[in-house]
Amino acid sequence: MRLSAVKPVSRVLARELAVTALLLAGVSVVVFAILYFAPGNPLHALGVREAEGMASTWPGQYAAWFGRVLQGDFGHSVRTGLPVLPELARVGLNTLCLTLGALALTAAIALPIAVHAAARGDTPGNTAATMAAYVLSAVPVFWFGYIVVYVSIHLFGMFPLISGTATKQQHAWLYSLVPILVLGTASGTLAEMIRHLREELSRVLAEDYIRTARAKGAAVWRHAFKEGFLIPVTEIMSAKIPFLLGGAVIVEQVFNWPGMGRMAWQAAQDRDFPVIMGIALAAAAFVRLGSLAQRVVFTAVNPRASKE
Amino acid sequence: MFLSIENLRTYFYSRSRRAFVRSVDGASLGVARGETLGVVGESGSGKTVAALSAAGLVAGSPGVIGGRIEFDSRNLLEGLERYVKVEERDGRVMAAEKDEGGWRKHAESLMRRVRGKEIAMIFQNPRAALNPYSTVGAQLVEAIRLHTNHKSKAEAKERALHWLERVRIDSPRLRFDNFSFGMSGGMCQRAMIAMALCAEPSLLIADEPTTGLDATIQARIVELLGELKAETGITTMLISHDISVIRRLSDRIAVMYAGTVVETGAAAEVLRPRAAEQHPYTAALLASVPSAETIRSKSALQAIEGEVPDTIEQPRGCRFYGRCNRVTDAVRSRCANLEPPLAEAAPGHKLRCWLHAA
Amino acid sequence: MRRYVQAQDLSRLPLLQRADVLDLVYVGYGLAVLALVLTSYLAGAFGWLPHDPRAIDVALINAAPFTPGHLLGTDFLGRDLQARLILGIQAYFLPGLLAIAISLSGGCVLGVLAGYRGGPLETLVTYFANLVDSFPRLVLILLVIAAFKPDIYYIMVVVGITGMPAIANLVAGKIAFLRQKSFIEAAHALGLPAHSVILKHILWLNCRSVLVIQATLGMAEAILIETSLSYLGFGVQEPTPSWGNMVQAGANYFLQGNFWPSTAPALAILATILGFQLLGDGLNNTLEGKRRR
Repeated sequence: MRLSAVKPVSRVLARELAVTALLLAGVSVVVFAILYFAPGNPLHALGVREAEGMASTWPGQYAAWFGRVLQGDFGHSVRTGLPVLPELARVGLNTLCLTLGALALTAAIALPIAVHAAARGDTPGNTAATMAAYVLSAVPVFWFGYIVVYVSIHLFGMFPLISGTATKQQHAWLYSLVPILVLGTASGTLAEMIRHLREELSRVLAEDYIRTARAKGAAVWRHAFKEGFLIPVTEIMSAKIPFLLGGAVIVEQVFNWPGMGRMAWQAAQDRDFPVIMGIALAAAAFVRLGSLAQRVVFTAVNPRASKE
Repeated sequence: MFLSIENLRTYFYSRSRRAFVRSVDGASLGVARGETLGVVGESGSGKTVAALSAAGLVAGSPGVIGGRIEFDSRNLLEGLERYVKVEERDGRVMAAEKDEGGWRKHAESLMRRVRGKEIAMIFQNPRAALNPYSTVGAQLVEAIRLHTNHKSKAEAKERALHWLERVRIDSPRLRFDNFSFGMSGGMCQRAMIAMALCAEPSLLIADEPTTGLDATIQARIVELLGELKAETGITTMLISHDISVIRRLSDRIAVMYAGTVVETGAAAEVLRPRAAEQHPYTAALLASVPSAETIRSKSALQAIEGEVPDTIEQPRGCRFYGRCNRVTDAVRSRCANLEPPLAEAAPGHKLRCWLHAA
Repeated sequence: MRRYVQAQDLSRLPLLQRADVLDLVYVGYGLAVLALVLTSYLAGAFGWLPHDPRAIDVALINAAPFTPGHLLGTDFLGRDLQARLILGIQAYFLPGLLAIAISLSGGCVLGVLAGYRGGPLETLVTYFANLVDSFPRLVLILLVIAAFKPDIYYIMVVVGITGMPAIANLVAGKIAFLRQKSFIEAAHALGLPAHSVILKHILWLNCRSVLVIQATLGMAEAILIETSLSYLGFGVQEPTPSWGNMVQAGANYFLQGNFWPSTAPALAILATILGFQLLGDGLNNTLEGKRRR
């Protein structure tokens, strides 16, 4: 990026940050509203009391609650009594790895099929691949997980159900790949990813400026890369993060993976409000961060964006 | 002939209508070295598709299915018969089989050294034709480094600026760093001309270079093209539906209608109003252009009756029959049933018309 | 080698012939699934089951399909799988319809507000859409479950609400498209009242195929959510069958090599979600006409 573009780009990015902040505020309002209307007054459990010198109206309670959240006080788990945020931070990383790894895997499967279909049209090969992707997208991920577990136990002698605990086996890190494999293939987003990437790439390849590049004898891929490849890939990946987080909840159950998803499940069982609230906030924050990252890429690549 | 297109057939298959769109249906024309051939015709006449076929840029199925394109004594469609099988009935193509992947690979190897370097092409709607994600300068430099000996970035930039000056763009140094969306249509077209010519090609194909631009800008671009033509002596195939542009720049003219060439000849001869040897379509085209005289005499605008035929359903016989206002009883049955050949009516002047055939 | 044949008769071709073969296959399969789900739902609702789904038959544990008397075999307690699968549809069908109804009606309202009026309303709707999209559905549902009852209808209300932005976007997009074609301007110039323009012309005439497609996709989504939740132990509890809890219950047996009790419901989930998704996509390609090479 040239220096002359830096200043307007930073202005656009500042606006994106403001939008993200606004959305996160909205997220906090939604979470607060759910807690506020919940029977059993969970807000008390979080220690937000009327006697705190604030009015007992809901804006007052919201302010008190949000203030604590911003300071990192997510309350204490009803079940374990431990403070929520440090626990979340500990397991959040595991979920992050799982989610991002699975996202990368899904993209890695979708890309070749989409690119081939966009460049060559419908061939028996990519039609079959697309149909297989449809089937994979409809497979219940938990059952697929069982199949993979069964195969890995009986064919490879790996026991990926016990992960996160210190194992004496040499290739312990390999076990962590299995949940990523499962979530990456059966997250349910594969077919849509292929469709989006293929559509966008086809659209760009039909653009006038690609025709000019061909007429010039230039490498078409270099010209089509930004609009036909980079932007659609980042777009669809950031859009699918929420879906993959949802899938992570299930996959963490199947593999007993020590992550946010399993913690959420436990919290829902136990009515552990601080924990589930913290997870909801963290998950939404992660989604918005992903979206922000995508906007950064878009602005960096698109000269038009920095002109606004 | 430096570029010679013989009996070119480029079809597109419409799945929804289960029929061929016969965009170019047996067109033949030629450009001699150093001259400018103006190809004129209405929308749908096939002139753009013919140009794209010459440059190997046809996208769509099945695309080019027959003919010969000779460029500098090389056949650019060499080997096409091996990849295409055509079934005809009564002279009309009813089915076609084409190994598109195979032909694409083969055509790439034929066109790789030609496209951009020896044959350059400019398009209408210049702002859309430039990459909006890349500066004008970068796109010029790319062309220069690809096709000339100036491989270093610094050298290429110098050449690019030189060419931007040559196309009389204002503030070349500024424009070098501009993006296409920040420039007017006229400037984008100048930039595209620079990008095409900086590779020093021997043939320039210009597809409607002035269409879509403001009238005053159009005149400037035409002027520029004329100047560049005089300076470089480049061979040009100029496509336009605008007769004034064709008139100003062409040495020879080919008139296209419904996918075929109906008249070719020297510009002065083809465009001569009310000439004896003239295709009825050309005559009607010329008559439809309002002139100072028609405005002064306040006479009605002369439109051509009827509509351009749907290139899907091809009637037998002459394609212009039905709109032709010069048909006589003597030739009527032939016009209705048999397509006339493109025959020489005078030295260097060919017509596809039963009125002028021997 | 691709072959192109000119049709002999170039008269108007009906929709069926113009559609891609593959899309017709998709739609056919989807309609078959829909029909099966509907009839099975009714059978389950009226209790027309081949067996009592709770009847334990210790003698016939883990019977394979096509065992006499049990078309689809039995589970680890000898209960007839066919009956249980049919009954399992009850868990998601009506709730799914609720979710669809909510997202379609809410989405249309939001889409019309954003597209028709535009301006600050559009910004607001966009904000709401982005807000809703920030939550992973399952996490939001778990939060709601923790706060309120794990009642499937509550949950489907949440699913319905989270489905509104997508539909709002589609409707707003259609309106923008029609506006660009001066369609709306023309309708106003003709003096048509606003509610007629919106209800009849925009929504019914122009959006109905898109909305039907979203309904099918919405059902697929509902099935996914309900089965995931009952797998996780929320929603329908044993011994009442739900496809999700059936897979979970059979999990241990699966890992021991007894695949069928888990696999039968999983295949049901797969086939049904696939059916609704293919129906939606097939209809989309045929009716909304994205041309492919």
